[in-house]
Amino acid sequence: MKLSCLQENLSKGLNTISRAVATRTTLPITQNVLISTDQSQLKLAATNLEIAISCWVGAKIENEGSITVPARVFSDFITSLPSDVISLDLKHHTLEIKCGRYEARINGLDAADFPPIPQVGDGLYTKVQAEELKQSISQVAFAAAADESRPVLTGVQTEFEGSKMTMAAADGFRLAVRRSNLLSPVKDKVAMIIPAKAYHELNRLMTEPDQEIEITLNAQKSQVLFKLKNIEMVSQLIQGTFPNYTQLIPQTYSTRARIDVAEFQRAIKMASIFARDGSGIARIVITPGATPEAGKMTITARADEIGDNVGEIDALVDGETAKIAFNARYLSDVLSVIRQAQVSVELTTPSNPGVIRPIGVDNYDHVVMPMFVQW
Amino acid sequence: MAECKEHLQRTIFHIDLDAFFVTVEQVLDPSLAGKPVIVGGRPGSRGVVASASYEARAFGVHAAMPLMRARVICPEAVFLTGHYSKYREYSDVFMSILSDYSPVIESGGLDEAYLDVTGCENFGSGQALAVKIKQRVKQESGLIASVGIAPCKVVAKVASDLSKPDGLIEILSGQERRFLSPLAVSKLPGVGKKTAAVLRSMGIVTISQLADMPGRLFLDRFGEGMLWLQQHARGIDDSPVEARGEAKSISREITFEKDTSDTRLLTATLRYFAEKLGAELRESEKQARTIGLKLRYADFDTVNRQLSSRLPTDMDDDIFQSGVHLLETALARKGRPVRLIGLEVSNLVAGEKQLSLFNAVTKKKEKVDRAVDLIRNKYGFDAIHTGYAIELRQNHLDGKKE
Repeated sequence: MKLSCLQENLSKGLNTISRAVATRTTLPITQNVLISTDQSQLKLAATNLEIAISCWVGAKIENEGSITVPARVFSDFITSLPSDVISLDLKHHTLEIKCGRYEARINGLDAADFPPIPQVGDGLYTKVQAEELKQSISQVAFAAAADESRPVLTGVQTEFEGSKMTMAAADGFRLAVRRSNLLSPVKDKVAMIIPAKAYHELNRLMTEPDQEIEITLNAQKSQVLFKLKNIEMVSQLIQGTFPNYTQLIPQTYSTRARIDVAEFQRAIKMASIFARDGSGIARIVITPGATPEAGKMTITARADEIGDNVGEIDALVDGETAKIAFNARYLSDVLSVIRQAQVSVELTTPSNPGVIRPIGVDNYDHVVMPMFVQW
Repeated sequence: MAECKEHLQRTIFHIDLDAFFVTVEQVLDPSLAGKPVIVGGRPGSRGVVASASYEARAFGVHAAMPLMRARVICPEAVFLTGHYSKYREYSDVFMSILSDYSPVIESGGLDEAYLDVTGCENFGSGQALAVKIKQRVKQESGLIASVGIAPCKVVAKVASDLSKPDGLIEILSGQERRFLSPLAVSKLPGVGKKTAAVLRSMGIVTISQLADMPGRLFLDRFGEGMLWLQQHARGIDDSPVEARGEAKSISREITFEKDTSDTRLLTATLRYFAEKLGAELRESEKQARTIGLKLRYADFDTVNRQLSSRLPTDMDDDIFQSGVHLLETALARKGRPVRLIGLEVSNLVAGEKQLSLFNAVTKKKEKVDRAVDLIRNKYGFDAIHTGYAIELRQNHLDGKKE
């Protein structure tokens, strides 16, 4: 294998695939990057066996070939090089790198020993606009569980039906659901659980909002492929059944408050200063006024040895007085991903879930379980 | 201020009820008084002696002895399965008497407690106060208490133990070391059979020999984690009496008869401890945010590992799962035979609880825990266990006090 390419292109390509490089692993070769020539381009690939990312970089190919080299050493060296033409020359199992007056030789391992990057060819196919997908991921994936005690909850339930896409994630204490549109409809209704981690990586890869992202689900429903411009990401799917989340979304409320997101965020942030030491409890009281506009919401927190705080914000209240306690972090998490200026908060009792929805769009539901506290 | 504190002389009681279970039985059924009585189970069963009256002890019966053996050496004994809910009632009476004399009380089970009476001189001298407590316990519950009085916990405990039955020993400040010196090392709390054997192999039999052991030698053999033991042997123990209800943590640990690498045994032990800790948490209406594992390896090297969760729990299964996770990580790193294993819940919170979205699952677990608690309150802790812990009780933990 012999080729040359631009330092900035190679560096960018290595950055793209870097997050798929295995860190802790029992299979050492997965800490390598696979370098090969592919249709007159340089192809870089990495896999941690959960996700695989491939990326194509423009290059002048003299000889075809392939090799794997330790990803860390290779990319640390490449990113340190000046912005110039880099030549890569494979001699037996040693990759020789030259750039201006700098050169290096890195010992590689045979490409044939690299775990195969799954080929997801025929199967269910659809397309979605990058911006739409990004929004869905950022509004939903954070609600997935971080601990592995229930594996399905570490994933994002992703459903296609007609030209609708629905994503849902829940960690046992909160649930986020977002609906959006596909660019090309699917014939059959399909549901899969994509690891939240994979979605976070995908989000990082989608740098151009107008791009169309092609999604292919393999026939065995075990892997999904996301195809971007010059980048492909394959993720394993989480096997299992996602809980029936639609029944977890309350259909009615006894109190509904419409509030300003920025104000709410500020009040929650202040409450978390005092809630930090405890379980992060923010106590919320919604009080209707003489007119709907005269309502208010108070947010309080206290720490045994430090002190307490009270914040009051305007609220458009429909219904009766309500009080409820939430983990402040759950509230700040959801408020930080809502782009609209206002949200509605719907409550029934102090021990029933609260629902937060952006005002002005009808595509997002966020359900948060309260905390049981002594008032 | 610091100086002032150093000079503050503490007065600590260790109050221990004599042959607690058996004495309760004798109070409930006066015809048993003066007879050899053994609580533990029917003589034919596999169990062990939980408590034996002094009359039975005269025959050589002692706690943790297999019931079969007890029947052989004391055939005329009355064997009882025990009334565990009654024991709790009597224990409550006992504890509430103690709490009349000082708010600083640390219970060490149903039948014993430390009481810090420093500054409670208006009740009279330490001895007079102890006599009063003994009288009230006798009058109000019919039980017999032995009391050790000392400037620190460990000496008070050794004193109460030595004073039994129906005893009272006071060790004055400055006399702690002289009092402990001639006693066998096994009298020191924390020295079990195994540690005693290790010490014996080094020629150390009495507490004074342990106290005088060169620091370097002790450190090499037992490690830094055990330095407190030598301090205790010298009559030095700064640990406070921790007021009940303010416990910062609850823990259980056991030193194995034989060092073990058997993960099945280790896991089962964790399950057993998780059930104990879960039950205690629920009893005190608290949840723990941190679960900690303690391992002491055969070479006395000791590790403590902790796992904290945003969501406090009081469920057996959660505690167990965290413990297993910590154990697996620890053993993966250092797979050596284990001498001691312990499980601790800390970072306790009360009165607040994150509710779950999937109520059905958690509710079910909670229901199971609650049902198990009810059964145990009625029939005793060992009336019901999960599979793990049953096997453990049958094969390893029988009669051991963890």
